[in-house]
Amino acid sequence: MRHILTFCFLIIVVGLKAQTYDILLKGGHVIDAKNNIDGPMDLAITEGKIAEVARNIPKEKATRTIDVSGLYVTPGLIDMHAHVFMGNEPGAYIANGATSVMPDGFTFRSGVTTVVDAGSSGWRNFPLFKEQTIDKAKTRVLALLNIVGIGMRSRFEEQDITDMNPEMTAYSIQKLYPDILVGIKAAHYWGGFTQVDLAVEAGKKAGVPVMVDFGEHNPPNSIEELFMEHLRPGDIFTHTYSNGPKERETIVDENGKLKPLVLKAQQRGIIFDLGHGGGAFTWKQAVPATKQGFKADVVSTDLHTESMNSGMKDLSNVISKFMALGISLPDAISRATWAPAKVINRLDLGHLSVGAEADVAVFNLRKGDFGFLDVRRMRLKGDKKLEAELTLRAGKVVWDMNGLASEDFKE
Amino acid sequence: MKIFNFKIARCTFGFILFLTILSLQAQEIDILIKNGHVFDAKNNIDAISDVSIAAGKIVQVAPSITDKNVKQVIDATGLYIVPGLIDPHTHVFVGPRPGKFADGFNSLSPDDFSFKSGVTTVVDAGTSGWQNFPQFKSQVIDQSKTRVLAFLNIAAQGINGTEIELTKIEAEKHDINEMDVAKTTEMILQYPDIIVGVKIGHFKGESWAPFDRAIEAASKTDRPLFVECHLPEYSLQDQLDHMRPGDMITHSFENIDERMPVVDENGKVRPFVLEAKERGILFDVGHGGAGFWFDQAIPSLEQGLWPNSFGTDLHRFSMNAGMKDMLNVMSKYLNMGMPLKDVLLRGSYYPAKAIKREDLGNLSPGSVADVAILSLRSGEFGFIDARNNSIKGDKKLEAEMTIREGKVVWDLNGLAAKPFENK
Repeated sequence: MRHILTFCFLIIVVGLKAQTYDILLKGGHVIDAKNNIDGPMDLAITEGKIAEVARNIPKEKATRTIDVSGLYVTPGLIDMHAHVFMGNEPGAYIANGATSVMPDGFTFRSGVTTVVDAGSSGWRNFPLFKEQTIDKAKTRVLALLNIVGIGMRSRFEEQDITDMNPEMTAYSIQKLYPDILVGIKAAHYWGGFTQVDLAVEAGKKAGVPVMVDFGEHNPPNSIEELFMEHLRPGDIFTHTYSNGPKERETIVDENGKLKPLVLKAQQRGIIFDLGHGGGAFTWKQAVPATKQGFKADVVSTDLHTESMNSGMKDLSNVISKFMALGISLPDAISRATWAPAKVINRLDLGHLSVGAEADVAVFNLRKGDFGFLDVRRMRLKGDKKLEAELTLRAGKVVWDMNGLASEDFKE
Repeated sequence: MKIFNFKIARCTFGFILFLTILSLQAQEIDILIKNGHVFDAKNNIDAISDVSIAAGKIVQVAPSITDKNVKQVIDATGLYIVPGLIDPHTHVFVGPRPGKFADGFNSLSPDDFSFKSGVTTVVDAGTSGWQNFPQFKSQVIDQSKTRVLAFLNIAAQGINGTEIELTKIEAEKHDINEMDVAKTTEMILQYPDIIVGVKIGHFKGESWAPFDRAIEAASKTDRPLFVECHLPEYSLQDQLDHMRPGDMITHSFENIDERMPVVDENGKVRPFVLEAKERGILFDVGHGGAGFWFDQAIPSLEQGLWPNSFGTDLHRFSMNAGMKDMLNVMSKYLNMGMPLKDVLLRGSYYPAKAIKREDLGNLSPGSVADVAILSLRSGEFGFIDARNNSIKGDKKLEAEMTIREGKVVWDLNGLAAKPFENK
């Protein structure tokens, strides 16, 4: 009898415990594009996973409640274009070099929980990148593998066709690191379509998308040909709003007209990535393109040392810039959460479904007079700016700007 | 024989004067910052004024400077103009080695954090020693846009432990024999413009030899000693007693087991600590991940133990914690009750004096144009300490613009940009 009682008691205790949430974010406005949520909602987290999203989850159900009233609660942002293979190899710039940055210093403070490294490494130096950065970062770091085996070591080495090996690239992605490698990058190539075609060949073998930085062909190659004949639906065109017309054909022509082929390409399924960077976002392209009904599918930073202190700054700033173009907050947020998750085929990320890993960002939408800078030192005014108040990665608070998750100091 | 012709002399003098005026007028100004509130303690300026910059140097600070011959005018109405901030406690010997500070992932790249927080100079707090300083210099210092200065660790390899936990780093790792006064001194004299002092920290033993050698190297090179924490066998009083006026102690408001806190159980700042301050010992905040506690900092502020500088102790474990960046640390003090002017004074002029670099931390004509333009934001803010306790506040400093050697290196809202017009 006593044993049975103890047993019942145990079951009750276990049952009670199972009902208790670790963290409850209460009173916020949830934006979750995948689940069609854009409204007041509480969010509960248990054991690093989303446990419940509903109106009025009682405080009693949670060990710890964080008041987020007046704030926006979104899936942790995904920055689909970053360079984080930081290192000190002599002669290297982005691959194991000083032009890359370390992810954790930029991510959490702007609400980012996942970055996709855009081809800093190739199949030959990815293992070093993984050991050195990916395995050590608190940020989730995924990567596009460069079609060049040595990655972005120098502009010169990026031209080496003999080091563009679709077999090895596809093998790395499919067989060796399928959980981390989500696509392929082709970038900085000076010649024709050779590099893109090799990347797409690898992409077909591995079943992943290809991202193309089409920036340095002189004279420029036709983007229509790229979109319609070389890329597949689901492949990605980055630096969408770049305006270096001598090296890369622009999406808006000299008369401020959006080229019809751009909308056609988007309909075909070509993905347009913002990829701000130090030189690839201009109001001259973005303002007319937006007015004429075109929006980049994914909002991303192209984070590296030449962009971090420029008009780019961080992903929440780039989203704020996107909003200064007249795009709504939920729309802009979806382009840095659920949209990139779908593009890189990581449907486990970018949403707040029950059971998903609790990567969550809490933002305040600051009001004021702001100026947003493009790469040509032109300024567009805005009256709203996103600021990351709180960031959680796998259920842990990794950024707390104003102490929302802290206790009041008592003397 | 006439030795001196007054007429010619007068003409010559007049001509030179004319040329001087002409050259002053003709000098092209790169940047003119208008209508900001200039706060430059060294020059006793605390007023609405303009600042002009040419060829990377400050030309003039005065009200209503003409905008003729000016390439770029920046309107700083409503903003504060101060000498570029100086962070005297950082760890920036960044490299790829996981779990390491020297040439490791636990250090950070200075440019990633400095300019966005108004900082133009950081001092690395002994991440390198005489054996690996040259690597630090070529790998980080020479590559950075931020001015990087350094305290040289008396330990030959700097902070080179294998343990990730902060308190164990370096401990017992150091061979005392390698704490070499002659080699340390030699390295300082080889790079006198970069190495501003000597650091002792993270030593677990009882021997005072490391401390004494650090002081000896500092004395020989006429530089301050920077005393970091993690010296569990030395009492706080003994540490302060060993220090000379002008030496700096950091993590001043820490409350952890391995060092006696400056405030006693009754909330009183210990008398010997106040005496040390009277004697000229400089107290640096050294916020870090564990080095700043409100239960120490608030009573200290109330009882007169004010920090002399706002060292952040920037590294991988402090960047996303309560520290965040130097302006956040300064904003904490603002909301704890330190007047704005006293906060700004400790942001650039005082640390410049502490490291004996009075060429920095001021806006004197001719000095390097390292300038921060700050806004004082109003709102509801919170600030966290090492124990995850927080205080509320209504003020926060934000870096609108940072200028390093006359170049705009941070421009939050496009003050230096042209408005976009869609034609």
